[in-house]
Amino acid sequence: MTGEPRWKRASGWADLRGRREGGLAFLLMRLTGIGLVAYLFLHLYTLRLLAQGPEAWDAFIAVAKSPPFLALDGILILGLLYHALNGVRVTLLGLGIGVPHQARLFWGVLALTLLLTGAAVYAIFSITG
Amino acid sequence: MPDAGDAPTLLPGFLRLDPFEVGVAPAAGTKQEEPIMPTWQLHLLRGRPGSSPRLESYRVELPAEAYLIDAVEKIWAEQDRSLLFRHACHHASCGACGVRVNGRERLMCITPLREFNPERPIRVEPLRHFPWLGDLLVDVAPMMRRMAAVGLVLVRRDELTADRPLPEGVEQGTRFEDCIECGLCLSACPVMAADDAYLGPAALAAIERMLAEPRGGDPVRLRTLADDPHGVWRCHSAMECTAVCPSHVDPASAIGRLRRHLIREKLRRWMGGNP
Amino acid sequence: MMAHAHVVVIGAGSTGAATAHDLALRGFRVTVVERGEIASGTSGRNHCLLHSGGRYAMRDPESARECIEENMILRRIMPEALELNDGLFVALDEADLALKERFLEACEECGIPAREIPVKQALAMEPHLNPNIRAAVQVPDGVFEPFRFCLAFLATAKHNGATILTYTEVVDFVFQGRTVAGVRVWDRRRGEERVIGADLVVNAAGPWAGKIAAMAGVDVPVIPTAGVMISIGRRWTRMVINRLHMPGDGDIIVPQRRTAIIGTTSWRVEDPDFIPIPEDHVRLLLDCAERLVPGYTQGGIRGIFAVARPLVGRRGVALDGRELSRTFECFDHAVDGVEGFITITGGKMTTARAMAEKAADVVCAKLGREIPCRTRETPLRSYRDFFD
Repeated sequence: MTGEPRWKRASGWADLRGRREGGLAFLLMRLTGIGLVAYLFLHLYTLRLLAQGPEAWDAFIAVAKSPPFLALDGILILGLLYHALNGVRVTLLGLGIGVPHQARLFWGVLALTLLLTGAAVYAIFSITG
Repeated sequence: MPDAGDAPTLLPGFLRLDPFEVGVAPAAGTKQEEPIMPTWQLHLLRGRPGSSPRLESYRVELPAEAYLIDAVEKIWAEQDRSLLFRHACHHASCGACGVRVNGRERLMCITPLREFNPERPIRVEPLRHFPWLGDLLVDVAPMMRRMAAVGLVLVRRDELTADRPLPEGVEQGTRFEDCIECGLCLSACPVMAADDAYLGPAALAAIERMLAEPRGGDPVRLRTLADDPHGVWRCHSAMECTAVCPSHVDPASAIGRLRRHLIREKLRRWMGGNP
Repeated sequence: MMAHAHVVVIGAGSTGAATAHDLALRGFRVTVVERGEIASGTSGRNHCLLHSGGRYAMRDPESARECIEENMILRRIMPEALELNDGLFVALDEADLALKERFLEACEECGIPAREIPVKQALAMEPHLNPNIRAAVQVPDGVFEPFRFCLAFLATAKHNGATILTYTEVVDFVFQGRTVAGVRVWDRRRGEERVIGADLVVNAAGPWAGKIAAMAGVDVPVIPTAGVMISIGRRWTRMVINRLHMPGDGDIIVPQRRTAIIGTTSWRVEDPDFIPIPEDHVRLLLDCAERLVPGYTQGGIRGIFAVARPLVGRRGVALDGRELSRTFECFDHAVDGVEGFITITGGKMTTARAMAEKAADVVCAKLGREIPCRTRETPLRSYRDFFD
């Protein structure tokens, strides 16, 4: 395909050069989406431990309460919140609502995501000590 | 240089300019009062399909009031005649001079040099998502075929001056559609990178226009064209199209309106309305 | 032998495009060679005015008649590519007003449907006009887009068998004795030269016509005459606004989409390849625009551009000594001792079809064929068909 080199390849959607808020929002949406799907499989895989009896499950929970694991939970919440909040933004924009404010809405989504993630992480570490 | 007083000889009758009208280059160009002419550095992408493209550096002297198209044209005229680039109207009606400037989609003819700092090079590359033909040149046929499939009629009702009485003999005020088919939106759209069959923002916005103001278009055919996995539903609202459009098309809003329209149609049919 | 005579047309501006269309319609095999993009020369940077001819009525009635005739033809053959809101000629001062009667008479004599309208009505139709105008005359001006104008002709030609080669630059002529047998071209995309044979070559290279003719050893004295235009970011008027006076600088504002273009000026340049824009021309144009539409500049300058128009300092004559035309130039270089080569240049975009008709007639005569022109009645294809 010598006529079509670098300007049209499947990973082109990840190319942030020259792109602004909307493009960044789109990229983060895809990355968090992929992350959440991966997490879903991981979660389902972990749940098999429930079928292996209380010791197996309790052992897992002990790990799940450890600070490194909780930190990963924090990242999960970050991705989840971003995906959900931007999802609302994209739903509105996709129906033609609020298009002139799309960049501002993105910053709002980021701000809210960070705020709520912060609150959630604080809550988690308070509860688990 | 001829004197301002010299009468031009044997000019074709249709022009018949007075001597003062075909004069010398104006006084501002004389050596004594040269306007300030910064030297701009441009990095232009050069190469041909089949070989690795590279950025080549050029320097060109132009006033800050000049435009990027002037810089590229001057480089071609005076430095490198092998440079391939598209341009025609220089007033943003033809849509031919679309490129990426420092990564961002722009029309060269309305990008003033004044926007840039002469100390820093201006990078000019061809549009994304079009077959590359060499240097700054791309093949816009994929876009034009999509627009032809939609059949956007170039002339529309002019809403900008609709509040004024019409001249006698003119039934309706008309103007050209905003879309100049420049392809900037297709280049900026991340979905275009991954999906060869995606209709793209320009074509979708065109469908929305043809449904809003039919002008002989077939609404059923147009809705079918839009209501496709590679049509309006392929858009993921990255909003880059509206951000780069130089001509007030706002494809993102048009796509939103088109979706609402299609959803309403689906609901109507589902509730037993006529198809 | 002449079953499908091959004609090469140099230049894909309005002249070349319309000529290719006419020739293809008459059954010739046509190849258009253009060194850049379609309409990237003079034609692209056109003022976009579909002339009513009013501007020429007083000074050059023959031109005016041709304009209004072609105006009506173009409305028929490319109807969906024109903004048709008519235009106004407005008198700004007593001197302008004094010309009004003569203007109206001249328009009538040339067949231009010009109608005086009360100033109050003109100001109601165009509220941004200078409120102190003394008179207003309505004429059938229109607006086109130069790139798509050329594309429409070429799309039709292409679908009638023509080949259009862009980024293909003529670098020399090929002779057989004293007859042009073809052109040597540089394919700019592939970086290689080749020869394209032809039974006849038509030089439609606009301000570069002199340079092209020189390659064939023929003198066509083209005087590239530049003009500046400014596009402002707001469509102030629905109609074209002309100043009612003798042709001069900055006397017309052409609206298009959401812009308004003021033009133009005029000065000779040496090299049409690149034209630096003189600052005082820009100031002059904005002053002129402000007189027609006060506050014009508040729309914000969108673009400033200049291009060279081809003025020719000699009349073209046929072998029998008659002038080939008065409104544009057509040279049969057999007169200069070179067979198989003609030049067509000058004119304006509004009359491109008429120029092409003349050029194609000359081509037919030279190749010994008698084929009538059908471009008056043949509707053009959509410009997008060029990209099929």
